[in-house]
Amino acid sequence: MIQIENVTFTYNNSEEKGNLKNINLSINQGEVVLLCGESGCGKTTLTRLINGLIPWYYEGELTGSVKVADKEIREQPLHTLSQQIGSVFQNPRSQFFNVDTTSEIAFSCENQGLPETEIQRRIRQTVSLFHIGNLMDRNIFHLSGGEKQKIACASVSAGEPEIYVLDEPSSNLDVTAIDDLRDIISCWKAAGKTVIVAEHRLYYLMELADRIIHMRHGEICHEWTSEAFLKMSQAEVEKFGLRPASLKQICGIHRFGAHSSGSYKVRHLAFAYKGEKQSLNIPNLSLPHSAAAAVIGKNGAGKSTLLRCLCGLEKKCSGEVETDNKTYPLRKWAKKCYLVMQDVNHQLFTESVLDEVVLGTDSTDMEKAENILNQLDLLPFKERHPMSLSGGQKQRVAIAGAIFSGKDILLFDEPTSGLDFRHMEQVAGLMQQLKRQGKTLLIVTHDPEFILKTCDNIIHIDNGSLTEQYSLDRAGIAKLLDFFELR
Amino acid sequence: MNQQSSKLQAKDLITVGIFTAIYFVIFLACAMLGFIPIFLLAMTFYGPVITGIPFMLYLTKAKKFGMVTITAVICGILMFVFGMGYFTMITALICGLAADFILKAGDYSSKKNTTLAYAVYSVWFIGNYIPLYLTRESYFASLVSGYGQEYVDTLRAYTPGWMFLVLLAACFIGGLIGAALGKAVLKKHFVRAGIV
Amino acid sequence: MSVGLISGSENTAHFTLDPRTKLALVATVCTIMISGRVGGIMTVIHPILALVPFVLLLFSRRVKAAVCYMIAYAAAYSMISFVMPATSGIISILIGATAGIIYRMMPSLITGYFVVNTTKVSEFNAAMEHMHVSTKITIPMSVMFRFFPTIKEESSAIKDAMHMRGISSLRNPMEMLEYRLVPLLMSVVKIGEELSISALTRGLSGDIKRTNICKIGFHFPDLVCFLLCIVCWICFVLHMGGIV
Repeated sequence: MIQIENVTFTYNNSEEKGNLKNINLSINQGEVVLLCGESGCGKTTLTRLINGLIPWYYEGELTGSVKVADKEIREQPLHTLSQQIGSVFQNPRSQFFNVDTTSEIAFSCENQGLPETEIQRRIRQTVSLFHIGNLMDRNIFHLSGGEKQKIACASVSAGEPEIYVLDEPSSNLDVTAIDDLRDIISCWKAAGKTVIVAEHRLYYLMELADRIIHMRHGEICHEWTSEAFLKMSQAEVEKFGLRPASLKQICGIHRFGAHSSGSYKVRHLAFAYKGEKQSLNIPNLSLPHSAAAAVIGKNGAGKSTLLRCLCGLEKKCSGEVETDNKTYPLRKWAKKCYLVMQDVNHQLFTESVLDEVVLGTDSTDMEKAENILNQLDLLPFKERHPMSLSGGQKQRVAIAGAIFSGKDILLFDEPTSGLDFRHMEQVAGLMQQLKRQGKTLLIVTHDPEFILKTCDNIIHIDNGSLTEQYSLDRAGIAKLLDFFELR
Repeated sequence: MNQQSSKLQAKDLITVGIFTAIYFVIFLACAMLGFIPIFLLAMTFYGPVITGIPFMLYLTKAKKFGMVTITAVICGILMFVFGMGYFTMITALICGLAADFILKAGDYSSKKNTTLAYAVYSVWFIGNYIPLYLTRESYFASLVSGYGQEYVDTLRAYTPGWMFLVLLAACFIGGLIGAALGKAVLKKHFVRAGIV
Repeated sequence: MSVGLISGSENTAHFTLDPRTKLALVATVCTIMISGRVGGIMTVIHPILALVPFVLLLFSRRVKAAVCYMIAYAAAYSMISFVMPATSGIISILIGATAGIIYRMMPSLITGYFVVNTTKVSEFNAAMEHMHVSTKITIPMSVMFRFFPTIKEESSAIKDAMHMRGISSLRNPMEMLEYRLVPLLMSVVKIGEELSISALTRGLSGDIKRTNICKIGFHFPDLVCFLLCIVCWICFVLHMGGIV
């Protein structure tokens, strides 16, 4: 079905990583292939070879042949290729062309110029196959990330391609949404379609994948079946720089943290978005000093709302915080908090890393700033534009700004979304460093490995209220794994 | 092996849509101040200055004939739909086309041409004032019932015929400055960030 | 329930107008109201056209908006007719300016707002295709409308971030401009690229003729609106000719 022979590819744009060398790959019809590897290993580039974005969108030097159904990709225009190959990407927010869901599902078909009756039939079929009847005729902007991704899959599916290419589709999704994604892929597999998925999170595809291909530095290194992969020990998996694929590989990550002295006791937290009756209602919440708490919960449960309220972005939120036997109103305490947003790009304003660190303060203490940059391994980049750095580096710049401003409580919204194993470890290490410096951390995350490496206690939010708060001892770990359905 | 043809492809049309959106939003934000009538006149100057920033970024990606014209036409249509009259559609088409020709003449890479093109493009806004001058007497007569005689007299005093040329020049000069500003921001940020 | 061009509003109207009718209404209201001709038959036509947005809003169940509009309009009218002649000097001018704007521009503005808020992007596309408007205009326009809410979202996230960093209070205007615009533009470019890729890999092409599953067509309410437009235009032209 797909034949890639002797392909070497180099991007014209030197900023892009993931050049390929000597790729030889053959994929049969009906196979589900999982591409894995560290960031920059070339798995995304490989998907772009298959769906035609290389050479039709991304420019570069391409040698070798890429054939789908015995026809060269580079000889067919993108709109013809899209009839055979459907693509789903990482970011649910930027994949839709229309504002309402039904039109979006019809999009592929409309572009092919299919007759209206046929399009309606396909929509009905896709909707019943994926059980998304409740999502019809709705404003896409009002859907959750998981629902948006389902619509994206449905839209591609309605075009009835033979091959599906997915590039890190689960990056921004929570546990339930990932389950739905897995169901969708298994529908495709059952229909005999060929599916290629480039991913960091491997566990949800273990039952579906026929082949697991590992890449490094632009070359294919290893190939396993899923049974063989699952037989590997945790140490072996980590050596490849991959995320654990099963419970056996996760256990033993956690190091139980030291006891902290004192805590912030947040009380009577209450907030409602405009038009809602109550978005957040937490009578009591405890944040131990110099420790990291993970905030978990389903999408829409109110986790981000909690962070936004605690750092003072939601002015209508009321509450108080007790610490050191003194009680402060929420607004005053919020000044000690600093939020590192999920999309770090919203938080970078200046033209050099050094300027970014001191932004917002009136201080000109460059030495202090440089010290902080040094701690975070950013000193060589101090004159670089923040937006030219990698995702992880940008995150560290934002953190540097927080440390410089002297704020003690750092809030993180999904800091490891889409990161591979090594980078996740780096972030975890950074968190430990911050804890040692006496910072208190509150992290919203869907990443169980990260939680086990970093956090000391768990805050479980559901429907705007606190379901449970527990520390990560043995029993706690069991509860955590239950929540992530890893048992 | 890419579409190097000069025909506008879907990819280009999407680029036009995106940048027209951001250009128009920023333009509208500037115009919000224009509810105060005097500011409406000053808009001819500071509007092009501020929107120079998104537009210069747009020009780094608009390398085919017709893209700027389409942006202009769409802006004209939007102004019409929001009740600002139909003259803007005409001025937009003319200025957009002129800008496109200037860009093409510079092969889409000449710095001088991009500045000039943007300045010419910015003149489209003058369409809002054409009724004021072209059909002067009847326009003022019609205003009386809407705004009152005193307002009309004052307006008339503040907008003598040569004022039109001043406003036109304001658009143009605003465009020149906006282009310089846009280029400075491009250099300071977008080039260093690797986006351009 | 359909979803408007500018997202967020879901249409629960008693009737739906074909987008082409809405465009005709906009064209009529905007041109005739703006031209500001007075006297003769225009004294009748003007109020009729001013009522158009009110009726549209009412029938699309936006009762609150309809009432607000009516109140604002009536207030402006009474200011001009009664208060202004009684005052003079700077006050008269100020009243004239503000009330005048409301009186002259509101009908067109509100009609425009109504059209944009109650038309689905795909309806709009379908209407454009029926009128044989080139894809060179329709694709950018639909991308543009789809992008407006995204710009709003990004902008508000950046505003929050500025607040977090302590740079939201007014200082050097150049800096403020930079802080507000640069991250927004970077974000928009990136999202735009992802949008582009997603659309292209689903077959969007300027060449191929697209189908549109959106049903549009003329019904009785459209006929009524068109009739109204034609009548207004005839009166307008006759008035210009000095006949009526």
